[in-house]
Amino acid sequence: MRELASLVMEYYAECHRAKAEGRPVGWMPPMNGGIEVFYAMGLMPVFPENYSPVCAAFGAAPPHFETSEAMGFSRDLCGYMRNILGYVHGDMHGPLEPMGGLPEPDLIMSFGGGCIPAMKIFQHLERRFPHAKVFRADMPQVALDDIKEHHVAYAVSEMHRFIEFLERNTGRKLDEERLHEAVNLSDEACRLFDRIMSFRRNIPAPFGASEIGLMFVMVTRQGTRTAVDFLSRVLDEVACRAEARQGVVEEERLRLFWDNIPPWYDLGLLRYFEKAGGVVVAETYSSAWSIRLDTGDPIRALAVKSLMSYPLVSCVSIDRRRDMVLRACRDYAIDGAVFHSNKSCVPITLGQADIMKALERELGIPSVTIDGDHMDIRNFSLAQFQTRADAFMETLLERKGR
Amino acid sequence: MEIRPGNPASPAEPFRRALSHRGELLEKAARACAGVIGTACTYTPFELVHACGFVPIRLWERPGVVEKAYGLVPGFVCPFMRRCLEEALAGGFRFLSGIVQAYTCDVSCGVVNVWKNNFPLQLCRSLALPYNDGARSRSFLRSELMGLVDDLVAIGGTFSEDSLRRSVDLYGRIRSTLASVLDRLGRTGALGAAETLTLVQAFFVTPPETYLDMLVRLEDELPCGAPPDESRVPVIVSGSVLEDGAVLDLVEESGMRVVFLDLCTGMRALVPAAGAGEDPLESVVDRIMNRTACPSRSLPGQRARDLVLQAESYGARGVIFLFQKFCTPHLADLPVVMAALKDAGVPCMLVEIDGNGIEGQVLTRLETFATIAGAA
Repeated sequence: MRELASLVMEYYAECHRAKAEGRPVGWMPPMNGGIEVFYAMGLMPVFPENYSPVCAAFGAAPPHFETSEAMGFSRDLCGYMRNILGYVHGDMHGPLEPMGGLPEPDLIMSFGGGCIPAMKIFQHLERRFPHAKVFRADMPQVALDDIKEHHVAYAVSEMHRFIEFLERNTGRKLDEERLHEAVNLSDEACRLFDRIMSFRRNIPAPFGASEIGLMFVMVTRQGTRTAVDFLSRVLDEVACRAEARQGVVEEERLRLFWDNIPPWYDLGLLRYFEKAGGVVVAETYSSAWSIRLDTGDPIRALAVKSLMSYPLVSCVSIDRRRDMVLRACRDYAIDGAVFHSNKSCVPITLGQADIMKALERELGIPSVTIDGDHMDIRNFSLAQFQTRADAFMETLLERKGR
Repeated sequence: MEIRPGNPASPAEPFRRALSHRGELLEKAARACAGVIGTACTYTPFELVHACGFVPIRLWERPGVVEKAYGLVPGFVCPFMRRCLEEALAGGFRFLSGIVQAYTCDVSCGVVNVWKNNFPLQLCRSLALPYNDGARSRSFLRSELMGLVDDLVAIGGTFSEDSLRRSVDLYGRIRSTLASVLDRLGRTGALGAAETLTLVQAFFVTPPETYLDMLVRLEDELPCGAPPDESRVPVIVSGSVLEDGAVLDLVEESGMRVVFLDLCTGMRALVPAAGAGEDPLESVVDRIMNRTACPSRSLPGQRARDLVLQAESYGARGVIFLFQKFCTPHLADLPVVMAALKDAGVPCMLVEIDGNGIEGQVLTRLETFATIAGAA
């Protein structure tokens, strides 16, 4: 896991190299099958939304917020949106921008199947980069249990339209063998990721949620050998830790579940519980990045992935999300759940109250709500967080009789 | 939504009464048909729901203090949706058989799913709408709409091409008549803006056959050709859902005249009145594809162009944006739309509605705006 920082730097370095070498750079949202197609065609995918957590972690987000808010974007809008729009309207390659900033896009893709801010981000990016070729896909927003054959058929036809767009605008032909290989690698990355996560069922858990940065590879490198090799090494490392019963804290007294996107500006907050022997051993958000693919039919697999990723963790499928949380809480022997009421992500926050009730009713697992924002520290109060977390940990320890 | 006492002599009075008694009227209607189906967004095709034997309605909010809904949704979501949930928790929607929500915003979709988990309904589903218009998108939308028909039939509805044709004609007539009434009112000022809003609100909660009769009578009774009060500054009111017309009264008290209601509960829900196509399902698809640009479905530039054109057409000298607090689709487009209006010499201002009434400070802002717009 120590390699993660260099993997992040290498990804952004490759983005800049691609631009310098004339390899087409495309900006796109994550959580869709476009990434595997990009890598299979030798194109460079860049994820503006993913750059926002990087900005938050490096403390670069506040000036971006200032820029976008000065343009008239409301503080009530999603922090990813305000950050990236502030970034692209500022000095994109200024000395304070993490990783040297992002290379400007030759192509801009929006997929349509995510949340409204994700759609709006790309509409504004189109205006900012008028020279870029634009592709707007129409992936339907539909609950997981309601996905029917006509949804899949339409998503497949959108994938074909996407490939035609790329071929027409880059002069590169998609090699079916390479796509097949990318889908195989993507599926293998998901398998490894699931396997790594499953080690957290061990008591003590070999790693906690503050290592969630591991997801970076699932967001940016799906469909590549880089992802598979990295995750294979992480798996070995985690297996060794589990074998040696090496935990996150000396005595793991409480096992916690985290719902919603973490506060990217300070992942250390996830470790706050450790002072009372609490370790966050499972979370909702990481599961959205691991969807096993039917490698026998690559295009269909990528279409299905594009349909499933967003509903899996959002308010589009609250029932399925609730079931997923309940299952995880059983499988990971959770003592208590922490629900991040996240002003920057309404789709994940909606439904939390029902999930909390179900946890208490069906499993007797108590929960606590932490008010915050995954991007904007101005919407977070450390003192309030600490007070609630302390009280919650005390209650949990009392229930466990320790 | 609080229904205020009306003026018995006003042509809008039957519409205000329909709103006042909507709960009991819809309970009665539910017993006389396959049921009542609710939605929080007019992208759900009312004619298709009606063709299956149901009365389609738009959900409404509960006035007063929100108490129970805060136990289910956070404080930073659209107050309109939170108040709809409050109304449901207070038993205000007992007559509903189901909810059909087009995916037009994250909050309405999410709140409807919360609703599903807390109230037993026969049907609770979303409707996926394409963003692009093309042969494949239209074919997909047809399949999606036929899936809705199947679900409605499964809970007791009946459907035929003829019933759809009749419903398409009925809703087409209502929309075109209502749009023409609104246009006339905007150009003459024969009714106040809050009363005009009442006409549209009643459309969303009244069985359509009854509503059309009311509308036809209104058309006959409306004074025609009354000249607008030129001393007042003509403005467009633009935004999402507006439930409480009190803010429109304030706009008028501030010396302005509302010439166009660019709202989800205004003209945007009515244009076009119907879609093209011999096949009635095709006309439903065509209408959805050609709806007046709504921020949740369109590019900000399109919204900006539409508003500039509307300002020109109605001679508006200002635009007042009335948004539900936290409304992502509208807030996200606002900088582009405002910039385009300013370039066109049309001043604008934003008022956010949080569901707790309008403060006196808003009146001061509106009065100042009226002065600026009047001088522009």
